[in-house]
Amino acid sequence: MIDKSRPIPVGRVVATELKPATPHQFHFWTANETTIGIGAIVRVEASERGALGVGRVVYGVVTDGFAYSDLATPLHDVVGAEGDPARAAEAPTVRQEIRLWTAAVLRQIPEEPLQPVPLGQVHVAGDADVAQALRMDAYVGGAQPTPIPIGLYTSGGLEAPVYLDADFLLGPEAAHLNISGVSGLATKTSAVEFLLASVFRHFPAHKGRIAAVCFNVKGPDLCFLDRPGELDAEDRRRYARLDVEPRPFERVRYFAPFKADGVNLNTLRTHPDLVSDVDALVWGLQEVLDFAEVLLNRDDIDAKADAFIDFLADRVLNKEFDDGFGRQHRVQNFADLDALFRAIFDGLEATGRSDMWRTHHIATIRKVRNRLANISTRCKGLVTDDGPSNDLPWGELQDRTVYVVDVANVDPLGQDLVFARVVSKLREHLERRDLGVDAVVVFVDELNKYAPADGPETYVKKMLLDISERGRYLGLVLFGAEQFRSQVHRRIVGNAGTLVYGRMDMDELATPGYQVLSPATKIKLATLPIGELMVRHPHFTQPIFVRFPRPAPLRGRDGVERFPPAADLPFEDAVVRQLVQLDRRIRPNQVKDLITDRTAEDVRRALAGVRRARPEDALAYFRKALGTRIAPAAPRPRHVVPPLNPISEEPY
Amino acid sequence: MTPPRRWTEAIVAAGAVRAAYVPEASTGRSDALEPAGAELVEGAALELHPVPLAAAPGPVISFLDGIQRWAVVGYDGATPIVRAHVAAAVRRRGPDRRPRTADEATRELVITRLAALSAPVRRALEEAGVEIVDLAADETGQPGRALRAAHGRVDRAREDVERELGERCAGRLGPEEWLVVDGLLSESRVLAEHPRVLGVIKSHGAQYFEGAALERALTVPADHRTSAFRPLGHQHQPVYSWYLRLWPWQGNDLLYGLLRIEARPHPASVAQATALSGWLLRERAPVSTPDARWDRLLYPIHDVETYLRSRAPRDLLPAAGSRLPKTGS
Repeated sequence: MIDKSRPIPVGRVVATELKPATPHQFHFWTANETTIGIGAIVRVEASERGALGVGRVVYGVVTDGFAYSDLATPLHDVVGAEGDPARAAEAPTVRQEIRLWTAAVLRQIPEEPLQPVPLGQVHVAGDADVAQALRMDAYVGGAQPTPIPIGLYTSGGLEAPVYLDADFLLGPEAAHLNISGVSGLATKTSAVEFLLASVFRHFPAHKGRIAAVCFNVKGPDLCFLDRPGELDAEDRRRYARLDVEPRPFERVRYFAPFKADGVNLNTLRTHPDLVSDVDALVWGLQEVLDFAEVLLNRDDIDAKADAFIDFLADRVLNKEFDDGFGRQHRVQNFADLDALFRAIFDGLEATGRSDMWRTHHIATIRKVRNRLANISTRCKGLVTDDGPSNDLPWGELQDRTVYVVDVANVDPLGQDLVFARVVSKLREHLERRDLGVDAVVVFVDELNKYAPADGPETYVKKMLLDISERGRYLGLVLFGAEQFRSQVHRRIVGNAGTLVYGRMDMDELATPGYQVLSPATKIKLATLPIGELMVRHPHFTQPIFVRFPRPAPLRGRDGVERFPPAADLPFEDAVVRQLVQLDRRIRPNQVKDLITDRTAEDVRRALAGVRRARPEDALAYFRKALGTRIAPAAPRPRHVVPPLNPISEEPY
Repeated sequence: MTPPRRWTEAIVAAGAVRAAYVPEASTGRSDALEPAGAELVEGAALELHPVPLAAAPGPVISFLDGIQRWAVVGYDGATPIVRAHVAAAVRRRGPDRRPRTADEATRELVITRLAALSAPVRRALEEAGVEIVDLAADETGQPGRALRAAHGRVDRAREDVERELGERCAGRLGPEEWLVVDGLLSESRVLAEHPRVLGVIKSHGAQYFEGAALERALTVPADHRTSAFRPLGHQHQPVYSWYLRLWPWQGNDLLYGLLRIEARPHPASVAQATALSGWLLRERAPVSTPDARWDRLLYPIHDVETYLRSRAPRDLLPAAGSRLPKTGS
């Protein structure tokens, strides 16, 4: 706790005609040996008898610093040292120097009338001063306090907790957080992990239940959130100071698609001790068709193709459907859909009718068929041709639970699909208030990639914009991270109520978005150590530097060393492993006997059924799901569907 | 207008040393430079001694200087009423090479001819509780004469403050501590006899030699000193002294970079003269710019002056604005 019993001034405000004190900025000097630095918060009081502005208290944050001596020109130093730099250091007397600081006003009390800063004494800010300066007093106390600790403001061995306002971080007043910083320092991920822990600990009871959905888009970053990492005594002290438990997340659920083989999970959390916690993320036609727009290249999709996709979704999917050539279809998966397409092409050819089928041109149908067929190829492992799907527990999200969706090794097309579908489902359920929680934090890293400032208007970008602009009313909160803030869509960044900066690249700091920062603040940002952040928040009139403890969960890179990912298993062994994880009594040979001579598709389908049902007797369920072994029929000659007419360049 | 180069070049070519100096006398002031005489105490004739750089004689050195400010703050009839501020400070430099104030003294004075003031003005002054210096009748009469007298009283008050402070500081010097005084030691017996007090004189209104010795003294090259001598004349207390050149004078003026050092009148002072001069040579850096006297002003002394000026009353500085009559009502 900062001791305020004996306030000792550390500086004094000075004002000259060239450097006057204004209502928004002032200058003060300190002793040469001082704890004041860029980002320090200070309190100014004019208490001397006869001083102007007595009774006014001004809080400021140091934004720049100057040092100079009484040297008239550099030439005089050369003369004094007789041209020898070594001799300059041997001068018997050290020149008089000054440490002059520039501070930006954070708050004046009283706030009206707004006047220039009085030429008073400068004190280092204490706990209460920091709360006042950052206007935290408005939400730290009261009947329904809403503080969320984000870190410790530290200056000269003194420190004070800095709180964000939950109403402005998680809605409804403002919402969203954006964090920028260079890659490789783990600052962004660490900060978000700590902040999520803080949110889970301090989310106000009157605001209900909260969960987080985190997209792991690179490496093992978020793969070990439930495992404890290394914390030293200083970290634990900071946790205690911020009243956050120094523990990994208690409830974490992992979701990852399969690899192309359909049995090995596409994640780095495949160590035998951990892989059982990972649920497969598998989607079928129904899940995909709603978001077909995500997967179809906007450059070659048009209103006609859109209309045909809508027709499939509305009139065909999961319905008894007559193809017009005498066959009934019930399309539930990609295989069924392909059968429908074949029937259409065959029917049109056999009847010799025109190129139109139910007002849709055959070229449009071919285009949509090709694109949809391509989905199950490019997103193999995520999208199943004909098996059951496995999804996040929509409607049953748990309070204070992190749902990690690992798409780090998924094709970009698949990543887009995952983002679009997960976020859309979150929004859909939050609108109906049946998600299971009242608010969800969605963490997306690499916003440069998913919502670039320029480039095409993708579905994902539109979706992220939609969260940014309307999510706060629903409780859908975006925590976005990126390396270069200037390269993220400005409406996404602009709608983030809270901006956090880790160490920044100087080129990035030279972009117009950082013009409001002083050169000294920029230099501090460019050299910021790990664990320190600059925070902007609606209540703070100036950026504030804070330190946060290392996150309690195991860091990704440490996790893969402690829990090295298992090598991909052969198909049979992978099936055995998955079934054994569900039922320890199962013997590998039993499974291998069952799947001998069975097609991989049959096995995957049966395995998915077991995974979804989680029966008491997994082996029996698996056996039943596989069905009776039937001798394979002689392969029928494949009917290739020839084009009815050569497709012209302009078929319409 | 182009200066007449021909004859100036000619005299340099003939052996004169080039110089560039506009003496204060050229702007109207004239000082009578009467030779005061000197007794050599080192060698048979005034000689030049090379001075190698040397370390300070102790880890802690104190520096003493004083300032004065005065202004006419009123007239009662034609009688000026002068307000004066005199101050002196000792700044102590330790092993960290940073001077810090060790002691200081100030005096606030009113200087006027009380008898010439009207009763209400005189009463107001006497009741103000300020120290009043009353000028004698023969010092006043004309405002200009009164101001000259006031100037002299201010000088004397500053010298008194400096002397008192110097004696106080000298009495407290540790066994390895030295005190450097800006000005004469001979004004104080305590200072003049102290083994670790030096006086550094940078104005040379008084000369102690004539003829060849004078030329030798005033043309002493940089990094050299003269033989030690005992100044004669109006010295109150006997001291030993020598000249020391800090910077080459050629191209400037005879007095450029020239200091006269005073030390106690003791053979040890002669023995230490070269070493002490070597130390003072080191005090050339850092230079005391932008002070115009930087060639002779040691930086620690400049530091004391800066300190005193920063604490002096601001209302005794010349008004920054125009002195044109105010217009309008």
